Amino acid sequence: MSALEIAPEREQDEFRRRFLRNRNAVIGGVLVGIAVLAALFATALAPHSYTETDMLLVWGEPDAQHPLGLDALGRDILSRILVGARVSLGVAAAVLTLTLSLGTAVGMAAAYFGGWIDTVAMRAADIILAFPELIFAILLAAVLGPGIVTVVLALSIVWWPGVARLARSLVLGLRHEAFVEAAVASGTRPAAILLRHFLPNIVAPLIVRASIGVGFIITAEATLSFLGLGVQEPTPSWGGMIRDGLTVMRSDPYLAIATSAVLGATILGFNLLGDGLRDLLDPRARDR
Amino acid sequence: MLTYVARRLAELLFVLAVVLILAFAAGRLMPGDPIGAMLSDRAGDAALEQRLRAQYGLDAPVLEQFLLYIRGVARGEFGFSYRFVGVPVVEVLGDSLRISPLLALSALLIAAPLGVAAGALAALRHNRWTDTSVMAVMIAGISVPNFASAAFLVYLLAIRLSALPVAGWGTLRQAVLPVIVLALQPTAYIARLARTFMLEVLAQDYIRTARAKGMRERIVILRHALPNILVPLLTTIGIIFGTLLTGTFVVETVFNIPGLGRQAIQAIFARDYPVTIAVVLLFSFFYAGINLIVDLLYGVIDPRIRLEARR
Amino acid sequence: MGQLSAKLVVAALALMWTGASAEAKSLRLNITADPSQMDPITESELIAGDIIRNMYEDLAGIDKDGKVIPVLATEWQASDGGKTWRFKLRRGVKFHTGRELKAADVKRSFEALLTPALKPGASQVYLKDVVGAKEMLDGKATELAGVTVVDDATVDITFTKPDVLFPIYPVRIFDTDVLTHGADWFLKESGGTGPFQFVGWKRGSEVRLKSFPGYWDGAPKIDEVVFVVVPNIETSLSLYETKELDLVEVPPSATRAVLHDTRYDGQMLQVPAAQINYLGMNQTKYEPFKDKRVREAISLAIDREGYVKGLKGGAGLPLYGSITPGIAGYAPVPKIPYDPERARQLLAEAGYPGGKGLPPIDIQATPVEKDDLAYFADQFKKVLGIDVSVKVVERATHIKQMNAGEVAFFPWGWTADYPDALYFLSQLWDSRSPYNRVRWKNVDYDKLIDRAQGEPNAEARYKIYAEAEKIILDDFGMAPLYVRMQLWLKRPNVKNVYLTPFRNLPFAKVEVE
Repeated sequence: MSALEIAPEREQDEFRRRFLRNRNAVIGGVLVGIAVLAALFATALAPHSYTETDMLLVWGEPDAQHPLGLDALGRDILSRILVGARVSLGVAAAVLTLTLSLGTAVGMAAAYFGGWIDTVAMRAADIILAFPELIFAILLAAVLGPGIVTVVLALSIVWWPGVARLARSLVLGLRHEAFVEAAVASGTRPAAILLRHFLPNIVAPLIVRASIGVGFIITAEATLSFLGLGVQEPTPSWGGMIRDGLTVMRSDPYLAIATSAVLGATILGFNLLGDGLRDLLDPRARDR
Repeated sequence: MLTYVARRLAELLFVLAVVLILAFAAGRLMPGDPIGAMLSDRAGDAALEQRLRAQYGLDAPVLEQFLLYIRGVARGEFGFSYRFVGVPVVEVLGDSLRISPLLALSALLIAAPLGVAAGALAALRHNRWTDTSVMAVMIAGISVPNFASAAFLVYLLAIRLSALPVAGWGTLRQAVLPVIVLALQPTAYIARLARTFMLEVLAQDYIRTARAKGMRERIVILRHALPNILVPLLTTIGIIFGTLLTGTFVVETVFNIPGLGRQAIQAIFARDYPVTIAVVLLFSFFYAGINLIVDLLYGVIDPRIRLEARR
Repeated sequence: MGQLSAKLVVAALALMWTGASAEAKSLRLNITADPSQMDPITESELIAGDIIRNMYEDLAGIDKDGKVIPVLATEWQASDGGKTWRFKLRRGVKFHTGRELKAADVKRSFEALLTPALKPGASQVYLKDVVGAKEMLDGKATELAGVTVVDDATVDITFTKPDVLFPIYPVRIFDTDVLTHGADWFLKESGGTGPFQFVGWKRGSEVRLKSFPGYWDGAPKIDEVVFVVVPNIETSLSLYETKELDLVEVPPSATRAVLHDTRYDGQMLQVPAAQINYLGMNQTKYEPFKDKRVREAISLAIDREGYVKGLKGGAGLPLYGSITPGIAGYAPVPKIPYDPERARQLLAEAGYPGGKGLPPIDIQATPVEKDDLAYFADQFKKVLGIDVSVKVVERATHIKQMNAGEVAFFPWGWTADYPDALYFLSQLWDSRSPYNRVRWKNVDYDKLIDRAQGEPNAEARYKIYAEAEKIILDDFGMAPLYVRMQLWLKRPNVKNVYLTPFRNLPFAKVEVE
């Protein structure tokens, strides 16, 4: 066993140890884990079909067969909540991927090349940021027509400027570091500099930003679904289910309450996980 | 300083101009159109449709429509609503212009002091039971979306306990639930920030000096610690106000409050272009305007920001 | 602190306000949204109609049993094969403006309803066959040639083709002098003959009408009617329980809860609406629909009872025909059984055993019908094995597509605007109608409709209706679904509210104790 082999292993171990000691990270991790499992294995885990209607069981009370009761068409609420996880988390994953890649690319380019690239990029970002987020997303969704693609696109367009600005300020902060000047002096191409030198150094704050942002993205998707602009029937979405549940709260509260609890717990999990990761990766980062 | 302000104002105007163009374009690009919405089930009558389209000037080329609209805005007219035939947009918005800011302000006036107090308390009892429990509640508060917490609270307080009305707007009792629901997330957000800032301030030398000098704890907190967190918090509170102002529509929808947010949603769904554009402009103006004020305040408070050539 | 005291002041003022109006006898009811119009010219919407009906009247109306009765006209006589109608007007009818109704006002009202600059709504459809109407709508004339003022109480109306049902069309008569008050006159003036007049409209909040003491049928016994904007039924029910609403319209989403709630016993008004709901199968858009057996299979695979009980909360009646009960010309038709076995058999006979071989199809409607869509998709998949997908489309787009005959499979409805079954038969299934969204075509049917439109004798006409209805039902031109049951809650101390298949009668005779 050479010294070289020991060192990396210890880093991972140390991270894992610190992670497990951080309460936020652990609780958050568990909640997120459950949500992700539900999203991935929804159809296998669901006790019933999420589209099967039964006119005789409409708004049925919870029982052994249907632990959370049934909805307006006699469909099993638990099954629909599980499948709804797919939508919420799927959209969040897609939006995260898009905004992180696009935002980081644009931000880094703007900071590194400056000039008109910077001006154009930041102006675009400013204009989008000037719109109140959700109103913009709603407007976009209305233009594009409801649906899952619309929601992903709308939320991505609304969120990439924030990521871009962050990436840009991070790169600006590092621009005069020694390793950059060395790379430039040795004639490395800009793309390579960006990818190999800047990126690894800004990844940590970006990840922290991402993990804190997931909660907002899930909330935004739920809000769009709540307004009827998101995923359409018969695919269940948590926001849509809460809206349906609210109209009959007086007589049949289970739909709204169960779904709200699940939505809240999921977002809570992501927020806790984000907090924990922030403590671990970048303890000096301020809450944003 | 003045040039900075002037520059920022110019930027604001530029942004609003773009917002205007985008909102106009968005309206025209939306599927379905106001004539269709107006005709509703009678949309089979082609002659009628054509007539209505001509009456509303919707058969002119888009550019011409846009220029006409700009001219109107310059005169201070925002046109007539499509949904409420013959009623000027300004009148459609009417009361809601007063209601939404009132709602947002009420929520802020609860969230700010409560959040600061909770956050400061948690910081003072750092890592003790109070800290953990307060922070747990706060983080839960941030996590649960408006309409979800509305569901819980409405069920508990309005339906089960019949302590408060289910929805509506006009009486003090009706205002309680919506304001509480709206205040939840800002409170939590402010509390977390207050806690972080407080922790930093408490670690400062001058606090330790004050304590070492034997000053009473209460004076230390109130006179030395708190004021130093209020300043950085102020900008956040300003931003939160901006978000609140433009984010009331969920609460308005759930609680049936005739506010600006709900108007916006209804106008968009009804393809009422004039009202939609007016509301989007208004919201952007509020939002960007508040951000500008906050930035300027920040610039006043922290001179380093002013000197920076770019943000 | 200032905020709190300001709120206290507001609350105190509010208390004083409500205290003051407690003296006035008012009828308060809910509307789910602001009306889109407030005047009889642009009127084209249901909610607006509820309000406008209390202010503006037509030549004829209906009584609480849905029968046609004279209102502003006391009698009418057709001549020239139904191409001319002579109306004798009621004497002594006053407008809200104080003037007395004369025949010239009928002419002027019609002209206003046909003036493009005033943006006429539904009314132009009912007047389009009057001689000279087209010219007015095209802007080529400013006077309506087909209306002749014979004397102060008599007016003749001539049509380009016979129109036996003209007298019952909802065409409002009003004092056109109010139009001089500007484009938004209806926010300031009231120009009708109805029992109530316009007072104010606080958008998002309420529409207020006050009684018209000079009403020709006797001054109303209440002082005002307030339509309170309450989109949320929960709120409406709460307000009903605290007596802040006297009358509440219960939407389908809450019917189940209300019907089962013993608190409301004896306070419910239930009348089937003059609205049919059907499942459209467009043969031009989906090949298999061309086969009658496929259409019949679909109709037999619908569990109408379960659908009404489960999805509509029991607030409805299964529909087996094309006409709703309670409307002139209605006759019962044979029941369509829920027969999955026979349905599957038919499908197999048509060449699609177990649904195999049938291309996938979308069932389309607006977000409001999303539950119905999900139900049908699941039902047809379960019973017939057809791959049906749900497609939700924005309302105006959906209507446009339906009217263009582009939608293959859709649940939709149709509400009667006037009290005669011909409305359903002519508007929906006549191949020449722009509203024939299923594009079903039958020459014999069209011929029957033409005969009916020229047949002034009611009994004879109803026989034609029955014949026509049989044609479309036997051919399974569409699958009837259900008739919606209107459900209203009425406080016990409120009397003389009459719910008809055409919604509430104007509140002229209402008393609040």
